[in-house]
Amino acid sequence: MAEVKVVAEIKTDWPTNTTRPDCAVIALEHVTREYAGHGSTVRALDDATFSIVAGEWVAITGPSGSGKSTLVNMLGCLDRPTRGELKIDNVDVASMSATELDRFRADKIGFIFQQFHLIPYLSAVENVMLAQYFHSMTDENEAKAALERVGLGHRTGHLPSELSGGEQQRVCIARALINNPPILLADEPTGNLDAANQTIVADLLKDLHRNGHTIVMVTHDPEMAAMAQRRIALSHGKVFCHPVGGPMVTLKR
Amino acid sequence: MFLRLLWESFARQRRRKLLAGIAILLGTTAVTAMLALATTIGDRIHKELAVYGANIVIYPKAEQLAVKVGGIDLKPTTGGAYLKESDLPKLKSIFWGNNITGVSPQLETKLSLTSDARTTDYEAVGLWFDHPLGQGVTGAAQLHPWWKLNGAWPTSPEQVVVGAGIARKLHLTPGSTIQVESGVASEPEARTIQTMTITGIVSSGDTTEDRFLLPLATAQRLANRPNAISRIEVSAQTKPEDTFARMDPDALPPKQREIWYCRPYANSIAYQIREAIPGAAAEQVRRVEQSEGTVLARISGLMWLISAAALLAAGFAVSAAMATAILERRGEIGLMRSLGASKTSIALLFYAETGILSLFSGTLGYLLGSTLAAWLGARIFSDPAIHTTALAQLTTGHVFNLVLLPIVVATALIVAIAGSTPSIRTALKMDPSTILRADA
Repeated sequence: MAEVKVVAEIKTDWPTNTTRPDCAVIALEHVTREYAGHGSTVRALDDATFSIVAGEWVAITGPSGSGKSTLVNMLGCLDRPTRGELKIDNVDVASMSATELDRFRADKIGFIFQQFHLIPYLSAVENVMLAQYFHSMTDENEAKAALERVGLGHRTGHLPSELSGGEQQRVCIARALINNPPILLADEPTGNLDAANQTIVADLLKDLHRNGHTIVMVTHDPEMAAMAQRRIALSHGKVFCHPVGGPMVTLKR
Repeated sequence: MFLRLLWESFARQRRRKLLAGIAILLGTTAVTAMLALATTIGDRIHKELAVYGANIVIYPKAEQLAVKVGGIDLKPTTGGAYLKESDLPKLKSIFWGNNITGVSPQLETKLSLTSDARTTDYEAVGLWFDHPLGQGVTGAAQLHPWWKLNGAWPTSPEQVVVGAGIARKLHLTPGSTIQVESGVASEPEARTIQTMTITGIVSSGDTTEDRFLLPLATAQRLANRPNAISRIEVSAQTKPEDTFARMDPDALPPKQREIWYCRPYANSIAYQIREAIPGAAAEQVRRVEQSEGTVLARISGLMWLISAAALLAAGFAVSAAMATAILERRGEIGLMRSLGASKTSIALLFYAETGILSLFSGTLGYLLGSTLAAWLGARIFSDPAIHTTALAQLTTGHVFNLVLLPIVVATALIVAIAGSTPSIRTALKMDPSTILRADA
């Protein structure tokens, strides 16, 4: 791996963990993720140690290839560390079987995607009910209430193609919230929206945060990152954690 | 939600599902047609080959004993031993009695024709013509379908059919009468003259053309041997002969013997006939039996080959259709996985789609295949009776053998599951995060 030169000063006394570990809803201890390549091993995440407490809003930033996707996959229980300990809601996911991980993901993580990923042939309420179906059992009234909560009570029967981008993202947020997961994992939640819809979705995330939801958000947008309490910068698999209001670190090879 | 997803899958991927469905339909149609034909082909081939005569012959046991003096066989034609006509109903009481489709007892005798105070002896044979036995009627005409009759078979004791050779020699035609002398040769005063009517002239291409064919009862009376028969020809539906069939049942262990006994080999049926009729020796006529077995084995082999090829093609077609269908839905799969759906629940969804498709296409294939089998049966087999039966089945709808339905549907399921499993496994192996990002 190429040597990383830090051109901006990084305060080494910045804490990697700004909160008490016993309150952490997500805790990484020396987590490394390696992938076997053609005769070599690629280290996508290198000895990451940090934690996120319940109710915290954290932005994960970094250039392409920095390890953001690998980190998000592991936080979303779609992947497991090669080494180290990853605890979500005080449970070590590294030791879980694939089936246990599926169940755990349904219980603990609500995904918000950049591309919304709504099933095109299901109505807004049915898309929300899909998450209920894979979690436990469907409840249409509950799904409608979730849509009302994101301001789409009047659009429950519409297909995704009949909704604007902002509305689709709000359906996606309602779907992420329907099973009351302790963690919302948002991957570029406003990356595909115009300015007006960006504001609507950002306000919605602020509301969710105010109501106590833990939000882990991957973003390239400095404005969105600035809304978070804390930023975690990634570069070449290395994690740099910043307190609220801390400077963005520019790293280059 | 599960049903909604299933329904939408069919509604949105109509073309893919239609292609996979047609592949299964064609495969199961071929399999049903082959199975339906295979279950009836033995019967049909037996009927076809019945034109070549009986496949079991019964003699009096004493007939088999060689009586040779100085290398010359002195054994009389009947060997002096006879079977009893009254024993014939026992043929239908053996284990494989229902497989006996035709019986023709015979008694060889002499017919003394008197004309202008001269008496000439002719070969004659007493036969059943349309004689009741068991549930149906049977006789020489049934077992010798190649005989050509000009006229009609005898229906009363005074009627007789004459072979074409004698008819030419004596200038006999249907409706002619003959004077037959009967009685005991040593008592001339007891001899009587009886008038008999020629009802038909038979051409057989063998020695029968030089004989008179009499009703069996008449022959017994003329020969003064009531209830006697010298030979019985039997036509039976049999299983093709194999190594096991050729084994000596009395040398087999009891369990093996029971299996041998309960299989409709010609040998087993002959064995059971020997058991049922005292003093009888029954043997299979190998030529017809072996032809039947060879034809059956070859046709069955061909049918299985066609069925296997059709199923293999269906499997590949399903695999291709499912691979495309799943590729189109990989975004959905990725989303479902991220929502916590287990691989099992996603596999269940796809297998349910495959199952419904198989159930529908398999049932349709069964209906089409059964109809095709009846149509093929009517076209392939030349026997007018079979042809008529098959056509009647087609028009009345009695072509469906319900036993085949679960077999065909299960076959469709197996083929569809086998065909779609590689695609489903590949889909489940895909990394959901990669799918979701690639789909973006």
